[in-house]
Formats: sequence, C-alpha cells, structure tokens
Amino acid sequence: MNILEAKNITKQFPGVLALDSVDITFKKGEIHCIIGENGAGKSTLIKCLTGVYTAENGQILINGTDTKKNRSMFEKIAYVPQEIDLFGHMSVAENIFMPFEKSGFNGVVNQKLLQQNAIPLLKKFKLDVKPDDLIKDISVSAQQLIQSIRAIAHEDYEVLILDEPTTSLTTEDAKILFDFIREIKNQNKSVIFISHKLEEIFELGDVITIFKNGQKVAYSDLKDATIPWIITKMTGRNVDQEKMFYSENISDEVLLEVDNLTGADFTNISFKLNKGEILGFSGLVGSGRTELMQAIFGYLPVYSGSIKLEGKEHKTGDTNYSVSNGFFYLPEDRKAQGILPMLSIRENISASNLDRLKNGLFISSKKEKESAEDVINTYDIKTPDSEKAIKFLSGGNQQKVIIGRSMICNPKVLVFDEPTKGIDVGTKAEIYRLMKELAEEKGIGIILISSEMDEVKKCSNRIIALYGGKKYGEFPCTATKEELLNAIIGVKSE
Amino acid sequence: MNNNLLKNNTLINMMKRSTLTAISMVLFLMIIIASIVSPYFLDKYNLQSLIRDLAFIGMIGIGQSLLLLVGELDLSVGKIASLCGILAGMMMVNYGVNSYLAMLIALVLGVIFGTINGLLITKLRLNAMVATIGMQGVYGGINLVLTKGKAITGIPENIYMLGKGHIASIPIPFLFTVGVLVIILFLTKKTKIGRYIYAIGNNKEAAKILGIKVDKIRVIIYSIVGAISALAGILYVARLGSSQSSIGGNWPMNSIASAVIGGVALNGGIGNPAGALVGAAIISVISNLIVLLGVNVYWQSAVSGFVVVLAISFSSLSAIISEKKQKKIKLESVDK
Repeated sequence: MNILEAKNITKQFPGVLALDSVDITFKKGEIHCIIGENGAGKSTLIKCLTGVYTAENGQILINGTDTKKNRSMFEKIAYVPQEIDLFGHMSVAENIFMPFEKSGFNGVVNQKLLQQNAIPLLKKFKLDVKPDDLIKDISVSAQQLIQSIRAIAHEDYEVLILDEPTTSLTTEDAKILFDFIREIKNQNKSVIFISHKLEEIFELGDVITIFKNGQKVAYSDLKDATIPWIITKMTGRNVDQEKMFYSENISDEVLLEVDNLTGADFTNISFKLNKGEILGFSGLVGSGRTELMQAIFGYLPVYSGSIKLEGKEHKTGDTNYSVSNGFFYLPEDRKAQGILPMLSIRENISASNLDRLKNGLFISSKKEKESAEDVINTYDIKTPDSEKAIKFLSGGNQQKVIIGRSMICNPKVLVFDEPTKGIDVGTKAEIYRLMKELAEEKGIGIILISSEMDEVKKCSNRIIALYGGKKYGEFPCTATKEELLNAIIGVKSE
Repeated sequence: MNNNLLKNNTLINMMKRSTLTAISMVLFLMIIIASIVSPYFLDKYNLQSLIRDLAFIGMIGIGQSLLLLVGELDLSVGKIASLCGILAGMMMVNYGVNSYLAMLIALVLGVIFGTINGLLITKLRLNAMVATIGMQGVYGGINLVLTKGKAITGIPENIYMLGKGHIASIPIPFLFTVGVLVIILFLTKKTKIGRYIYAIGNNKEAAKILGIKVDKIRVIIYSIVGAISALAGILYVARLGSSQSSIGGNWPMNSIASAVIGGVALNGGIGNPAGALVGAAIISVISNLIVLLGVNVYWQSAVSGFVVVLAISFSSLSAIISEKKQKKIKLESVDK
C-alpha cells in the first residue's frame, strides 16, 4: 500500500533544474533510503514532499489524496531536518512540544504537563537529560536525537523523513535511533532515510533510490544492491570523460606550508601548497574544512601549530595581515560573509583595494570607476553599470565580483570555499576555467573546498579528504571516486 | 503594465530614490506651513535662535549618524559634552588657563572619553547601547563630583562670541556645525575610513574577511563622536556664559532622532550624515512652532513627540504607498 506517492515532480530554480520528472513511491512498513551527491536533488525532493516547496509540475499524493486539493495532508508527514534548528535557550520539553498546538494546552503553556509528557519520550531514547535542561547545555548528539523526538512527538504522523540524522550522533545514540526506526517500521509506518553513510543504509534500509542531477537514476531492493553498484550509479562514472580543469603548470616552489594545525573544529592538520597548484579539500558538512581554511586565513582562532607563507611565519588571527600578505579567502556563504549588499558593485570591488585608488588623502572617483569597470569587463559580469547595488546581481555574478576584487590585489593564495554553490552549470564551468587560468598563468596557489565530488576531482591536482576535523588521506587527481568517497565518510584508506 | 509603473507618482518615486531629498522637502513644507500659521516664524530674531538651537542637535546628530552607520550608537554624548564644558570652564576660571588653550584641551579630553567608550565596547565586546548608558552615568557622576551640581560662572567674555555671535547674521555655532558636516562628509565619501564605515555597516563579517580592521574603525568613530560632543559642549558654555552640568540632557535622544529622521538606518549601512542636519532642523522647527503657537506648556512634549514619530514614518509611508500601488497594478493585470 502506497502511503506517499510523487508523480512526475519537476522543480525549477533560476538556472537549475533541481528535480526532473521524478516518480517515487513510499510503502507502509518500509524503510526507503535515498542517496545522491550534494546537489542531486534530495533536499528539493524532501521539501516538495513536506510541502515547503510546491513543484511546478506533477502531483503528490498522501494516502491517495492529492495534496494540491488538501494541504492538511502534509500533517501526516514528520520531518527531521539535517541541521540542528532547536531553540538553544528553551528547555528540552518546550523544544519537543513546540508549537504546543497539538498538545492541548489552549493558549496557556503548562510547563509541568510538558515536562511530564517529555519524560517517557526521553526514557525511550535512553537520553540522560532532564526535561527542564536548556538545549544549549546538552551534548550535540543529544540535540540531534531531540530533533528526531520532536518530529515524532505528534503521534498522528504516518511518514517519517530523516535527513542525515546521524551526522553528529555517537555510535550508541545512533543505535538507539535505529532501534526506534525499526519499531516505527513495525507499526506499519513509512520511513524515508537520507544518508551519505553506506553502512547505515545497508544496516537499516529495505529499498534504495539513487538521485543524480535532479533525476532518479536507480531504484533497487537493498538485498540485491552492492556498494560499488550504488557508487557507480551515484557518481555516474560513464560521464567521466568530461573536461578536466586541474593546473598543468605547477612550480616546485612551496607557497603555503601548514604544520600540525589544531583549532576548535580540526585537529593536527598538515599540508603543503605549491605555486600554481590547485589543492582540493573534500569532506562532508561538519568535516571542518571551512573552519580549517578560515582559521588559516585568520578569521577563526588557531590553538596550536604553524603556518608559513613563502617560508615566512604567518601571523594567525588577523585577517588584515593575511590580506596584506596576499592570502585571500572567498567565503562559501556569499550573503553572510561575502557581499556588502546595499553598496554598489563599484564600492564592493574597491573595498579591498582603496590604498591603490587614492589621490593623496582622498579616494579618486575616476580611478575607482576605472578599476570597477576593468573587473566587470575582465570577468564578464552581467550588469548595466557599476553603480547597481550588488544584491541585485545573480549568485554567479556576485561570485565573479568577489573573485575580481581579490584579483586586483595580486593575491598569492586564494581559498575558494564552495565557489559554485547555488550556481548553474554554465557558470560553473566558467569558474573552473578561471581557477585553472589563475593557477597556470599567475602562479597563484589555489585551495578549493567543495562537497561536490565531481568538482574536486575535475579541478584539483591533489585532494585532501577530511572527516571529523581530521585528515583522512591525501590523493592524487587520478584517485577514484570510490577511494575519495570512502575517505570522506571516515573509512581509512590503506 | 510597465507604462503604468513608469507613470507612478513622480513625487513618491523621488522620495523613494533618496530619503535625503524626501526629508528636505518635508522640511521645506514645514517651513512654509510654519510661516503661514505664525507671523513671527520668519522674524529674524526667531530664525536666529532656531538655527542656534538646531546647530547643537545637528552637530551631535552628525556624529551619531556615523555610529548608526556601523550599527551602533552612543548615549553618553550629552554627558561627555557637559563634562568637557565643565572641565574647560574650570581650567579657565579656577586655573586661569588661556581660554582657547582650555577649549583645545577639553576637545582632546572629549576624544579620550570617546576612545574609552570605543575601547570598552570593542575589547570587552559590549553592546553599544548598554555600555554607553553605563558610561553616561560615569561621565555624569564625575561631573557632579567636580561641580557639586553648581554652575561655573565667570567664563572669560572673549569666548562668548563663539556661542552668541553672528557672522553675516548667521549664528556662529551653526557655522561650526556646517564645518563639522563638511569634514564628516569628506570623511565618509572620500576616504578609506568612510568606505570602511559603510562596509562594516553593510556586513561586518564580510568586512572582516576583506581584511578591514573592524574594531579599529569602530574605536576611531567613537573618538570622533567624543570630539564632536566636546565641541558642542564647549560652544554651549560659550553660549550660556557659564558651565552647567545640565548641558546636553536631551542630546542623546534628539541626535538619534534627527539622524533617523534624516534617513540613517538604525541597523547600519544606509544613510547620509547630512540627513542628520535636516532631521535636526525638522525637530527644531517643530519645537519652535509649538512655542510660537502658544501650545500649553504641559502639552508641548507630547505634541513634539508625536510630530517626530510622524516625521520618521514619512519615509516608510512612501514605501508602503508604492507597494500598495504595485499590488493594485499587478492585480488589475491578473484580472484581465
């Protein structure tokens, strides 16, 4: 019996076809695993299934009822999001029963009742926290379990969707969660389980659906599936003959040397970067890749270890020092850390380079305008003029402004943190080409952080895999995807 | 439909494009209304005293707008002003220091007080509002310890003209305010620091990643605001002919109000310090008019408060109106 059914679902975002005519059905009493690389369309699918997004095309049927006609059917679906989004300064019980609607407390929140109701749930998950503990004071593993408890606290659900629910769980907590998931299955409810961890999928799942580039590429009973088959389907190795973008002009000169670096989210990391080289960093969300690079750049603190830039000891914890010594970081979160939204493209470009645009004491508007127009032309930024506020540009064009403004400072090291996040396929290739050009022609050392396996493999000369803040291997660009995938999910390579 | 949008009320369009233009038009309108309803409004003496009043709020407002541009504020401006006025007065009267030298020293002290504010807020990572509420208590307290609440009289008469005098009928304090505005406009529009101020106000984290020394810039702004407060305090002493601890009592709130009326965003990144001067003028015209019209003394504060709220809502009102208009146009095109 199909409890949840999606028929011919298509979802389009500007420049990206996120879901391409997907058909998928979920049965009662079944654990259905979904796997795919980042950007494959898993999250978009989930958001369509939970009613967050409305697909342009297609139908979603819950219990045979079209959700377009009856949106309240979405209440049958419980959802555990990937990222922890609890209220840190509220109690465990309050978080579980938020927004208190279905708990029958008509307007008044009865704390005692809330806490009493929370106790059996906490016991079931063998959680050693009190209902009145504040979320911020309990462990991350407990927090992630609370997320799952919150989803099932409203008992009238029939489908439970878990989006990578184990990324921060300890092994014991994961076991408890799995036992519970099996229990739900025995209650004849349906479970959708999304994970990057293949062992978990084989341990828990009944069937698996594999996504790639917004399409459902494979479906199988897990009894008939093998790990290599899944990885082949997931990565689509037959399209591997695509163009490569790694640097073909690497100098012997070491540019950046990081030795035994430890910070809050990474431990004992060492690596070297040569002039003209593109070094890829691969890892899942939470592997510490962004934190590592931000620490080297001086944005986050370094606890111990040393950094040398061109043989010279590099000061830590000072972004101004890094920038004036030619070390630039291009952030993953352009909106939060990259652009100055209300300012014009001109002002966004000149902000990194004002010293070179001055006539005596004051900024020369003429020089500033020239440099901005230069960047706009060089990087082919699509805008009517340089006075437009940057927030009105598309993501790809914003990224080009950010790259351009670093380039006018003659950088030595450039860190690209997820440079193609939210960017369409055409612009992606443009950015790859740009990175290659910068490395080969200007001898810039490039560090590329990406969670897209294809991207890292296509662009890097060497690849370092991180898992849980530790280095899990260093690979040449000829490494297979299987090797890399193992390393980023924490399986040590020999 | 596009045609329709283009025909959209040009007045509203103009106001949307620049808050400064909009708010200047409001001021102009208010002056016209004021001169119609009260025959005394355009009287030379009345205008001079109005302009002298607005000079002080305007000057502090210009400083305050620098802080608002990075998303912060300073509530101790009034107390710094009165403390610097007191210190200048004591140097002149009690220690016989040359009056111009005393004023210069007081100005330097204002810079120091501002820097202390800035260092506390950046180094201890304090919230600007709470920290400066605390510091206003400290500066006000020192003030009381020094004066026991009594005014310092006998200020040398040679500085009176700085507060009371005119050049070509324009009150001298106003000329100082214009001078401060010119310097601050140069700073914000033409120098590195100015650009960094807007960058920080737009996105503090992005500014850090650009290599901007965010905390250093913040401290610099606090010291500039300290200097401006001290200058206003000293000029006020010259205007009164005595140093009083009550100077600047309503400056913190009025300076923030004038900056906000002038289109400076409370959470940073948007606005022009010149707007603060226009905002100050609006506030001064309102309070002047209330007096001229003989509004009951007990009602004056309520009326002026209400008109200030009206003035602030003016810029957001234009946005609301144009949104409604767009909605209407869109709905009409859908119906067809």
